[in-house]
Amino acid sequence: MYRSQVISQIDMKAELRSNTTSISLSNQSSTLFNSHQNPFSGALKGCLGNLDGACIEKLLLHCANALENSDINSAQQVMWVLNNVASTSGDPNQRLASWFLRALISRSSRVCPTPMNFNGGRSAFQRRLMSVTELAGYVDLIPWHRFGFCASNSAIFKAIQGCPKVHILDFSITHCMQWPTLIDALAKRTEGPPSLRISVPSWRPSVPPFLNVLTEEVGMRLTNFANFRNVPFEFNVIEVSPSMEESSFNFNYEFLLTQTNLFQDDEALVINCQNWLRYMPDQASSKDSFLEVIKSLNPHVLTIVDEDSDLGSTSLASRITTCFNFMWIPFDALETFLPKDSCQRMEYEADIGHKIENIIGFEGRQRIERLESGAKFSQRMRNLGFYSVPFGEDTISEVKFLLDEHASGWGMKTEDDMIVLTWKGHNSVYATAWFPYGFED
Amino acid sequence: MAVSATSVEGTECSSGGNQIVAAPEIQPMKKKRNLPGMPDPDAEVIALSPTTLLATNRFVCEICNKGFQRDQNLQLHRRGHNLPWKLKQRDGKEIRKRVYVCPEKSCIHHDPSRALGDLTGIKKHFSRKHGEKKWKCERCSKKYAVQSDWKAHMKTCGTKEYRCDCGTLFSRRDSFITHRAFCDALAQESARSQTQNVVISNSDHHSHRQETAKVEVTVLPPSCSPPPPPLTPSTGVLSPVPSVHSSEVPEKATGVLQHQKGAVAEAEAAEKCLATATATTTTTASGGSTSSGNNIVTDNTGVFASIFASPSVLPPSQSSPASYSNLVCGVVETDRNAKVEPMSLSLSSSLYRSSTAAPSLFPPPDQTLHRQYVQPALSATALLQKAAQMGATSSNTSFLHALGLAPPPPSSSADQYQETSIGQWSNIQSKQERNDNSGIGRDQMLMGPPAPTTLDFLGLGMGGGTGGSSGGYSAFLSSLGASVSGGVSFGGVQNKEWDDSGDKKPALL
Repeated sequence: MYRSQVISQIDMKAELRSNTTSISLSNQSSTLFNSHQNPFSGALKGCLGNLDGACIEKLLLHCANALENSDINSAQQVMWVLNNVASTSGDPNQRLASWFLRALISRSSRVCPTPMNFNGGRSAFQRRLMSVTELAGYVDLIPWHRFGFCASNSAIFKAIQGCPKVHILDFSITHCMQWPTLIDALAKRTEGPPSLRISVPSWRPSVPPFLNVLTEEVGMRLTNFANFRNVPFEFNVIEVSPSMEESSFNFNYEFLLTQTNLFQDDEALVINCQNWLRYMPDQASSKDSFLEVIKSLNPHVLTIVDEDSDLGSTSLASRITTCFNFMWIPFDALETFLPKDSCQRMEYEADIGHKIENIIGFEGRQRIERLESGAKFSQRMRNLGFYSVPFGEDTISEVKFLLDEHASGWGMKTEDDMIVLTWKGHNSVYATAWFPYGFED
Repeated sequence: MAVSATSVEGTECSSGGNQIVAAPEIQPMKKKRNLPGMPDPDAEVIALSPTTLLATNRFVCEICNKGFQRDQNLQLHRRGHNLPWKLKQRDGKEIRKRVYVCPEKSCIHHDPSRALGDLTGIKKHFSRKHGEKKWKCERCSKKYAVQSDWKAHMKTCGTKEYRCDCGTLFSRRDSFITHRAFCDALAQESARSQTQNVVISNSDHHSHRQETAKVEVTVLPPSCSPPPPPLTPSTGVLSPVPSVHSSEVPEKATGVLQHQKGAVAEAEAAEKCLATATATTTTTASGGSTSSGNNIVTDNTGVFASIFASPSVLPPSQSSPASYSNLVCGVVETDRNAKVEPMSLSLSSSLYRSSTAAPSLFPPPDQTLHRQYVQPALSATALLQKAAQMGATSSNTSFLHALGLAPPPPSSSADQYQETSIGQWSNIQSKQERNDNSGIGRDQMLMGPPAPTTLDFLGLGMGGGTGGSSGGYSAFLSSLGASVSGGVSFGGVQNKEWDDSGDKKPALL
């Protein structure tokens, strides 16, 4: 009856993975499934033959609740089921589940530390280093990054029209992949290209994509390209010294105000934050402090791009649900045009898994991903006195043109002055542009 | 988050084609919360049947029974019937937002939190994912289920292609530009130019040369050999080549590069050139292109020709049809239509890339040519790479292999990008290291928990649930985690290990 029913379900699920299970399991099933605490058996029955996203989400939530209540048994049970469901080479739900499972394991290993390879504060993931050309292809696999690049570059281009000297302060995790297209556009400017300087901080959050070369090398190549296009160019790395450990930082951006040699009066200053603000810690209102420093630098324009989801909640269950209902987007998108065993696809998904692991597996200072949705973020900016700049018609058509060249599920919509990349109608990435003050000149 | 939605065969009715409506139903144990994946949690979730989704004329006019694909079209049509005011109104509800789920159970959009917001979207999705692909592109034989997808593809298929110096082909300009900026080919070109110290005088022979030297460049069709990895500037390898050409070379180069203008002209011309070049193939060199291995002389002149064939020379105002021969011979300002000598470019893909970037890399506009085609200071690796590319003699190739410096087979992750063989090399090495590491980790895992633990993987112990939970739990975690880390890493290779580990470790079931 109940027990045999459960065993048959287990056998069915075990077929997904291997087939040596039934014997060993039957000995244990008495303790496993007839225990008085068995909250997940309902979930298991409910998932009979059905591996859809709702089922997996339920399992994940069960696991999260179990971990929050320190109910190790239930957590183990759910993880075991998830392990049968998850697969890095299956359909998008299975793949997503495998990274969530890994994140949960990573988390629970800190609850019950093991002598094995899970370090206390470190990700269990190995870093995968890419070459610059690999990264150039990586950012164009899906329009996730290119959307932000295109919108920001277009806004920047417009804002610096007529400016002979431009200085871009670039806070980004994609190692200057954004700039070649802007340099290209500036090279073709009717009034001639401006003198361009790009400065990046010497530190970036320890998140993928990782490069196998130093920032200086990236700068050299960019300089090379700019020279090739006859754009006067200079690349600087601003030395910052984060006082904290590698995985989180809390340094004071006010040092930027003291760098008098960094900013020149005759330059138009552009500040670009791309997937950066979400790495600001919550404590001590670091985000606001950073934005205030930016404001006092009085940039010509401030472009901010990030992912459109609220992933900073203190509740683990809420984060799991939100994260699961957000991260399916890139997984689904990759599924539409890359085969299941594609290396590129798996590597891209692994990088998302890295993010998931941080969001779910860590707390406190070690959880560096603190994503805020576009709507919330815009409100924060307005509260600080920034003025949003709408994107022009030509920007929007540029973005649409870009999206037309990708899979047909990608779309775009505008929300107030924000433009949002959508996949099958679901928000994924937002792009915004801001002035620090109202129109004065 | 369980939502019960039933779908029923639809009957056509005038108020629209939506038949079954299911309200979202929340499980009692969960609080109602805003589902981030669903834009509007109060939206009506509608599940239509496959037949309904595939039907084309779902909206039928009640007056004349004419069918329409869209509701708006039906409404427009109904206006034409001069209906009395009352009947013009729709049934009035329609305020609530509707979202649609896919009827296919295994589909990701079967879940209401992944519902799609518009009817056209779900119909297209259903056709694309679960329908038959009836539309086919003639050029590239891609198949599509939705006609608009096919139309969109036909617009761009084969129209534009951007080729980087390293040989990689791009269909999108922005990805081409980004790649090009960071491509090794460009970097190497700049390094090469910086070490040059030969200034080739501004020659007035060039016009003479132009008439005598017809240079025609063959663009290797993409179906040709897979583009070799980007090469360091090639010409150093050619230095042993008959010196007959070397004297000719600098002057030709002068002629070409002397006329470079700013980057604007270069870029535009480059794009035009690339865009059209793929569409045109010169005919005369077809024979030559296949005989690359045997004819070094031809190759060399082809090499030099390719170097000259920098489209950067052309100002964008070039109005003559952009065949390659014209582009190449547009070297001289005065004579755009000089005849070009047909030369095969067996190495065009490899050398062309080094040539297009080079000319305008560093020259200040008023400086005369500083490109040097006899390069003394090339690294051994670069030379050998070049030799491999030339494919000149079999001894070269075997030499390369013997040195272990032959371009390794493209690693699976690099099959779309051209990296230097060194880059690929380190890529493969690091991949192997990772393989080894995870392999070691797994073996340790296997050895760690003793055999009885395989039955005890859930940490339940022999006696019951809670007693040995922490110790057994860690064993479970480590066995589970190690397998996860071993299997869930990078690349297809590890994937097999993931499955294998499942077999070896019954504990994981």
